[in-house]
Amino acid sequence: MQVLGVLDCGGGGETVERVVDRLVDAFAERGRVGVVRYDATIADGTSVVRDPGLTPGGDVTYDLGADGDWVACGTGFSIEDAVDALARDDCAYAVVVGHRTGQYPTVTVGADVPEGTDVVATVETPADLDLESLVDRVDEHEPHVTLETLVERVKRADDADRAGAIATFTGRVRARDSDDDTPTEYLEFEKYDGVADEKLAALREALEARDGVYAVELHHRTGVVRDGEDIVFVVVLAGHRAEAFRTVEDGINRLKAEVPIFKKEVTIDDEFWVHDRP
Amino acid sequence: MTQQWKLFADLAELAGEREVTVDTAPGETVGDALDALLAANPDLETRVRDDDGTLRPEINVLRNGADVASEDGLGTELEADDELALFPPVSGG
Repeated sequence: MQVLGVLDCGGGGETVERVVDRLVDAFAERGRVGVVRYDATIADGTSVVRDPGLTPGGDVTYDLGADGDWVACGTGFSIEDAVDALARDDCAYAVVVGHRTGQYPTVTVGADVPEGTDVVATVETPADLDLESLVDRVDEHEPHVTLETLVERVKRADDADRAGAIATFTGRVRARDSDDDTPTEYLEFEKYDGVADEKLAALREALEARDGVYAVELHHRTGVVRDGEDIVFVVVLAGHRAEAFRTVEDGINRLKAEVPIFKKEVTIDDEFWVHDRP
Repeated sequence: MTQQWKLFADLAELAGEREVTVDTAPGETVGDALDALLAANPDLETRVRDDDGTLRPEINVLRNGADVASEDGLGTELEADDELALFPPVSGG
């Protein structure tokens, strides 16, 4: 799933809504679209769509209608949780409106742009959007991939009815190896574009050719990955657990040995390329 | 002929750039293109080759995405517009 932020940088709320409208229509031509709106005035898990005379009656409430339509409200949900939920919901695109984190490529409406924003386009009006080229550029960004996304994907494989096992591996940023270890702040991964993807595709093909293995998904993030975040996923759909476990282990070992990706570690007082350390 | 070198990780930091174009003559090899790269970026020399001028075993050399070890190593003959890559041991995951 590709994620795009939209930020009001002086353009005004109504213009932002029309910009979001055009973007959602453009993305919808290529896949399912999710929208997350950040609104600091939402409080106590109540939603504007509900009758304000009703209380939600729980910390999280889903109102379900016919055909799977739904409305929800609740507490304790972050922007990251919402984006993850859209990925799990099989969205190809997510539009995050109004959140000033700067972590997603962003269309700014108006030119009063906060520092650190990753700007893909700045517009004054919806007509300023060059949609085709914008969507192409969004597609080139690092996709948002979760373990659950990949698990759902292998379950849709052609031979899934013969598969009784899914095994997964998640590699994540380890802050420290021992109590007196200097904590890692983040890792930064550099990838040999094109060649890394070819090697990943070849590895996936080799693993999927094994007897009893029906689908394999491999994903490695690039750029900055912070302490505690996930880095890499290997997911295997197989007939039985033995092939599933073996293939997951071989998959991560071969990925680490063969795919041209390079890791720089940044601790609170040092930075170094990991291959330079014993 | 021109060849494009792509450098990664600490090699790119030592060279101060990620992409370096070198000129070679027809019939020249990957080793000749490496000589040209190191002549233009002397800071890379000791990182990439040992005192005898031998490529260090942990350094990878790729031509058009394939390890030159699977061809004729540094003796592999160049073709026009090859993309060459030089990098340390991979360290993903």
